[in-house]
Amino acid sequence: MTSSSKKKQEKKKKDFQKPKLKVGKAKPKAASSTSTSFKAKSIALKQQALSTSAPTLEAQCAHHLGLLNHKADTQRKESLAFLTSVITSHPPTAPLPQPSSVIIPVAQRLILDGSNSVRQQLLKLLQSLPPGDIASHADQLLLHTRAAMTHLASEIRVFGLEVLEWLVGIAGVEVVSCAGGWVKMLKCFLSLLSWQSEASGKWSTAKSYGKSDSKIQVKQMNALTSFLRTGLYHAQAMAVVASESNFPLWQTDHHVLSERSNVYAHLNLFGATRDEEAEMYEDREDRQRVFHDRAEAAIVAGLEHATKGGGELGRASAQLRKVVKEGMADFYREEVAP
Amino acid sequence: MKRKVGAMEKVEADVAALRWKLKRDPQSYRDDFSNQYQQYETLRDLFLQDPGQTDSGVVALKDLIDFLSHTVDLYPEMTSTFHTELADMLLQHHDVLEYDLRDKIVGSLCLLKTKGVIDSITLLNTLFPILISTPSKSLRQLLFTKTLSVLRAENAKATNHKLNRTMQAVLFNLIESDSVSPQGIWAVKITREMWKRQIWSDARAVEVMRMAALSENEKVLTGGVRFFLGGDKEREEAAEESSDDDNDVDMARLRHQAGINKKTKKKARDLKNAHVSLKKKEKKKNAPHPLNFSALHLLHDPQGFAETIFSKHVQNSKNKLAHESKLLVLQLVSRLVGLHKLTVLSLYSYFLKHLTPRQASVTSYLACLAQATHDYVPPDVLEPLVQKIANEFVSEASASEVAAAGLNAIREICARQPLAMTDTLLQDLVMYRKSKDKGTMMAAKGLLSLYREVGADLLKKRDRGKDAAMGIRAGTIKDRRYGEEAVGEIEGIELLEKWKEEERRKKLEAAGLDPDADNGDAGLDNDEEDWKKWDVESDGDSDDSGGWINVESDGEDIQISDSEDEKDKKDKRPAKKAKLSSATPTPAPADNKETSKSVEPEAAKTLSKLLTTTILTPADLKQLQALRATTAIKSSLPSHKRAQLLAARHVDEAITAETIELAASIGKKNTKEEKVAMAKADRETNHQSTTAMRKEKKESEGKSTTNKEKARKKNFLMTLGKAKIKNKRSLGDVKRTLLGHIERKKRGGKRGNKGN
Repeated sequence: MTSSSKKKQEKKKKDFQKPKLKVGKAKPKAASSTSTSFKAKSIALKQQALSTSAPTLEAQCAHHLGLLNHKADTQRKESLAFLTSVITSHPPTAPLPQPSSVIIPVAQRLILDGSNSVRQQLLKLLQSLPPGDIASHADQLLLHTRAAMTHLASEIRVFGLEVLEWLVGIAGVEVVSCAGGWVKMLKCFLSLLSWQSEASGKWSTAKSYGKSDSKIQVKQMNALTSFLRTGLYHAQAMAVVASESNFPLWQTDHHVLSERSNVYAHLNLFGATRDEEAEMYEDREDRQRVFHDRAEAAIVAGLEHATKGGGELGRASAQLRKVVKEGMADFYREEVAP
Repeated sequence: MKRKVGAMEKVEADVAALRWKLKRDPQSYRDDFSNQYQQYETLRDLFLQDPGQTDSGVVALKDLIDFLSHTVDLYPEMTSTFHTELADMLLQHHDVLEYDLRDKIVGSLCLLKTKGVIDSITLLNTLFPILISTPSKSLRQLLFTKTLSVLRAENAKATNHKLNRTMQAVLFNLIESDSVSPQGIWAVKITREMWKRQIWSDARAVEVMRMAALSENEKVLTGGVRFFLGGDKEREEAAEESSDDDNDVDMARLRHQAGINKKTKKKARDLKNAHVSLKKKEKKKNAPHPLNFSALHLLHDPQGFAETIFSKHVQNSKNKLAHESKLLVLQLVSRLVGLHKLTVLSLYSYFLKHLTPRQASVTSYLACLAQATHDYVPPDVLEPLVQKIANEFVSEASASEVAAAGLNAIREICARQPLAMTDTLLQDLVMYRKSKDKGTMMAAKGLLSLYREVGADLLKKRDRGKDAAMGIRAGTIKDRRYGEEAVGEIEGIELLEKWKEEERRKKLEAAGLDPDADNGDAGLDNDEEDWKKWDVESDGDSDDSGGWINVESDGEDIQISDSEDEKDKKDKRPAKKAKLSSATPTPAPADNKETSKSVEPEAAKTLSKLLTTTILTPADLKQLQALRATTAIKSSLPSHKRAQLLAARHVDEAITAETIELAASIGKKNTKEEKVAMAKADRETNHQSTTAMRKEKKESEGKSTTNKEKARKKNFLMTLGKAKIKNKRSLGDVKRTLLGHIERKKRGGKRGNKGN
């Protein structure tokens, strides 16, 4: 027998050898079996509840807040669901088990979460929180919303619009008047709708990478409509305050303590210096002026193009046009010599 | 039911894909870029509110920064503030930033520099303050390498003087502003690295190191001192290494492989690149060696430096330097003193305190003392030191190593300043040559032979040796006095002169003239010929020169202008370039012959004239060498050999403790382990047969196997058929083949060449 044939025979023998089973003997183990037994002198339990009573609701909530950073999205979702159910079932008069000022900073980062179910659950949680608390965190939430709106993934972009709609509905005044809330949002919308018309030298605009269909554009326009309506129309709250006049005191609301936290935010005592974009525009007139300077022309031009498209897009653009027209109706510019 | 997703949607969150698309067509994807830029700005706002936070989400700030730093150069007008924002982020929050993000920002800034968005000075201005202030070790490491690579890249093609100057100024100020803080170590590290790579080799870099050596902080100061002691050696080694490692590419092999293997464009390109790089390396090798001064030579005011550093770090009893660092500083001071021949008198009195055998690492002190000795040190300063070494080290009671080290140290000192020795002490010390210990004996003999050369009259008469005794009797050997300098001369120049004179006389005699008489015309001819024989090749049998010319006596005959020479040689060869001196012949002084035979001092005068009046041509130099070789009797003498050895030792090289300890190790017996190791040293560790070695060699050369080897290795099954046929032949078959063989033989081979 040559060496090579011998080798071959040996090889042949090795493969697919049938194990012989014998009566009365233990079954031979498969070649691929892995021993899972282990030896240990002691076993350490990582978490062990020594208390006999169940944890309080506060502790449970704190635990679930910690779990919001968990790597598994189901876990994140479940924690959000737990928090939502606790808050909704809570009596509205009693204070929340964990204050909103704790929940919102932790939860708001999930606006940019990759999983859709987590995001939807987050929106439910946010909607269950008391509106007054949302208003005081509007600027933070708006930052995250803006990040979501310009996100590379279209799902997150759409979700950002949803959050914005909700946020404008619940705390519209705060949203349009917070630092960077007006100009940066306008800029963001313009760039999303690609209405900047800066690169006007092009022959035709190619369909951009990751650009969505007209459905998303409609949503964007609707969001922009509600945003502009809040920003450019007269605030209703003011009207309400003005209506009830307790006679000798005319401007009581200016003298009482403000309900808002951080009343002097517009003075920007501790932050970095703001440029025009990051400035707070608390007045309707200010907003109108900035809107006129920076966005109106682009929006009008973009609307013209969009209205021609007709259909759903056309309807949305008509809505938008109406809002712009009404909002800017009483705007007149004083020609100030620089 | 699950919705089917298109290919575009799947990769939507992929910034890498978008980056690729942007690079292809920047204008079309402008909106997408602006969206991403806004996203970045928003995330940045979020980040600035809580810098330590790790942000979740599909696309993190880190990825966005990466993406933007690769693409901002495509949209410069949109992103003018990007780099300042990055720099601010890093400068303000580097200590709380997440590691990944921090490293990414550093990398992005470097990338922006490569892309030309920011210049190197801005980049270094950002990186350097963090480097010296950050508590994170990994960040320091990263920044240090980045800083070095920026500096190297900026100096790769041409020296970037502006950048170098700014950087050196920054480093200098860093050390100068706060001499107590340990931050200066970064200045030391960067400068040393740049020095090693020969990127910085000017006085400014040395100035930084001088500042470092004068610093208060021990780390910084030892860094600076170590640089002066070892920086140049390190530089040389690095240069050698870089020149060594370039013979890796075997061009012949590459070409051979290119001929055999599949031809692809990539392989062709690789071959071409290898060729180009090889050419470049060869060019570099042939380029003239850059003239680099050592750091010690580039120092401004070495005297002041030596004095300050000595009084500040060594003499000052208040500072608490470790003994090793003090010794390092002492080494530097003594090195400076020896090299620049400085006068720091307090140094010697300092040594006096430390020269006892119980002093820790005393051999280093001895070496330092020897190093600090030169011929301008007053002998009366050195005398007590030598006396003390003799008293403390060299005695019958002391151990043999100690005595040997002491004697060796004395010899090293006296080799530099022979006047430091008194005759009684010397005669005492010389007696140790009868010692039983070999090391002591050798050291004493060394001292003896040294003084036979430099100061024989201090020795007893019977110790002086033949040469010295004869020299003293003849009066040729005179003791040199303090501060006296030897007259510089070319070795063997008197031989050349003598030979030239003889040649001239021969020539004149051949021409039938009186050799001793004045004959200007003949001299003229000689001289013309001599200039023609500028090169060595041109000289045959009549290689002579027209004697030397006394300039002082015949100044009016000198013609310096080239045109005159041109006129003279119009019909002869084209003019040489090296027509510097006038070659106008003048008669040699009549008493020339007498002077060469007369007393020595006069001869010395004449030989100096030869050098001042003529230019030695290459032919002359060759002749000089030949003459020197013929009179080589002197060179075989041990004293001459020793002198040569001393001359071969570079002036820049330091005397170390090993030099002093060397003598003691001579007589030492080896231990068993050492003997075994020595016996084994020249043997191979793993035995291999000759065949195996040959085979290995062949394989390493990439050669194939021989036919014999192939036959041996051939698969058995392949040979079976042939073997079978051979065995099974019948008698008839065998007969037929045999007959066929005979037939073929008759025909003269298979084809048959008989008929035609």
